[in-house]
Amino acid sequence: MRSVWVAVRVIREISRDRRTLAFFFLAPLVVMTLVYYAIKDDQIVKIGVVTRGAARFFEMDFINTLEMDKDVRMISMPIPDEETDPQTLDRLIRQELAIGGVDGVLYMGEKMITDRFDGREGTLHLYVEGSKPIITSAVFGAIADAMDELAASLPVVIDSSCSSLCADSVNNKPMVLEKHYSYGSDDYRMVDFFLPVLPAFFVFFFTFILSTITFQRERLRGTLERLLVAPVGFYQVIAGYVMGFFTFASLQSIIVVTYILKLIQFDFTWSQTLAFSVVVLLTMLVALNLGLLASFLAHNEFQALQFIPLVILPQIFLADIIWDINGFPMFFRIIAWALPLTHANAAARDIMIRNNPLSNSWMELLILAGFIVVVFTAMTLVAKKKDKSI
Amino acid sequence: MNADTGSFSEYILKLENVVKTFDGFTALHQTSMIIPGRMVFGLLGPNGAGKTTLLRLITGLISPTAGKLTMFGGMEPGSSEARARIGYMPQSLAIYPNLSVEENMLFFGRMYGMEEEALKTRIDEVLETIELTGRRHDILANLSGGMVRRALLGTTLVHRPKLLLLDEPTAGVDPVLRIKIWETLRKLCDEGTSILITTHHISEADRCDRVVFLRSGSIIGDGTPEELTRKYQADDLEKAFVLATREEAVV
Repeated sequence: MRSVWVAVRVIREISRDRRTLAFFFLAPLVVMTLVYYAIKDDQIVKIGVVTRGAARFFEMDFINTLEMDKDVRMISMPIPDEETDPQTLDRLIRQELAIGGVDGVLYMGEKMITDRFDGREGTLHLYVEGSKPIITSAVFGAIADAMDELAASLPVVIDSSCSSLCADSVNNKPMVLEKHYSYGSDDYRMVDFFLPVLPAFFVFFFTFILSTITFQRERLRGTLERLLVAPVGFYQVIAGYVMGFFTFASLQSIIVVTYILKLIQFDFTWSQTLAFSVVVLLTMLVALNLGLLASFLAHNEFQALQFIPLVILPQIFLADIIWDINGFPMFFRIIAWALPLTHANAAARDIMIRNNPLSNSWMELLILAGFIVVVFTAMTLVAKKKDKSI
Repeated sequence: MNADTGSFSEYILKLENVVKTFDGFTALHQTSMIIPGRMVFGLLGPNGAGKTTLLRLITGLISPTAGKLTMFGGMEPGSSEARARIGYMPQSLAIYPNLSVEENMLFFGRMYGMEEEALKTRIDEVLETIELTGRRHDILANLSGGMVRRALLGTTLVHRPKLLLLDEPTAGVDPVLRIKIWETLRKLCDEGTSILITTHHISEADRCDRVVFLRSGSIIGDGTPEELTRKYQADDLEKAFVLATREEAVV
């Protein structure tokens, strides 16, 4: 019977903590929803077709064949019809891939058709952006599935000197698919895409946990109050925290980055490493301020702990770490935009995979800086509300 | 009823009609009093009497809803001059358990902007006072509860405060340590430090030079322990407090 009373007491106590209850019952639903959208379908890819010369006659056949795949969305390529210079076409196709208007572009020129007529395999050119392995492999998969159909849609060659018996003259050789990558190559692996975002993620994750818990302790223990009684300002305390955590976050980043570079055997330049450090530093500052905000919002250490999955889990699913956010409904894409790691990851990949300068990610850096200002302001307001002495 | 507001040319603390309310609840009713320096001044009252509120008003952590509070002959509470002169020891063990005794004292001394050399000399003195010289390098987590409490007092003393604010300093402390803490406080007072102490233990209040009885945010008695006992014709301070409470209820 005593056990029953213990159980009653436990139930009564937990049911009075509404935040814990909500967390307990709602968090699994949120996570399951995220998992569902993350792995629900095959990746939907946007494919464009560019044809020149006699190949133009077969463009619609290609489009119709590819459209039979439900995971393919055909995109009309904004390239002028009269443009025929191969180099300009190559540049325009890569430009369209870079801005994300399309995930893969099939290019078929005059030569392809003449080769097929002449009984050769003929080469079909497939352009991909290449920095996102999930997208790249989905494009390859969609094209591979359609290759036979595509070949069948091309004209059949009948040898005029042959009777109807010599069906062998039909060109049933498989087409050659030549892949063109804007970034990466055939050797580019999932891990190459995934690892560059890990330092920012780890720094974010651990800084957030450490700052939430240590500041919560600073408050509960009464040492924060003592510091505020001494001639020390609240902002001086925060500045001290930033400097202290910066030391650890920097060390952690150095260890993680060095280890990852060894692991994936990538050669990174110093300027890439430096630019990457700026992104990691900004991420750390966001996490630190978020941690302080969480510690002020929490009434006790238990509630502070609940903020950890609340802040971390959505970012694992939505911040473009593993899964492409474009596969999620609009609602989640809006949330993803409001997550700091989304922008940190975009900048990290731009620097590490595409080897672009830091200035190329100015928008992401600006957004991260904006996060710092907003979260810091929110933290100060909550702190002042909770603790009148601040 | 207000405490004796008789004039003191050099006061450590002066409250003029100070009121403090929290969301409609009055934690401290209109209170006026002058606390002279160089004495151990006790605030005696049950839990919820307003002792900690008064202490936090003095530290500047909270501001009065109405009235005026000045310190050290005219300084505002919370001003950097006033804060530098205060040593505040809260009820909780507000100290860093993963630092050593000396590291904690160094940290708090630096927070008060002390010069390194002067700080080190001062730490030696304070360690003697709190009898922890031999354990100065020990991490607090490895010390006994009594030692941690003494270390806490040490961090409060390191910047030579003029006014020491102690919130229930001997709550949950064994009798031997309690005596030791009181010996230290008396010594500090003799050396010129003013001490304001909150307690709900009558035996503690008995050791003070002057005591104010607080109940439900109002002062209901003020004087030396002897004066209060005499005034209420009681055998001891405990009975005097009970009688003061009854008298207040009748009023």
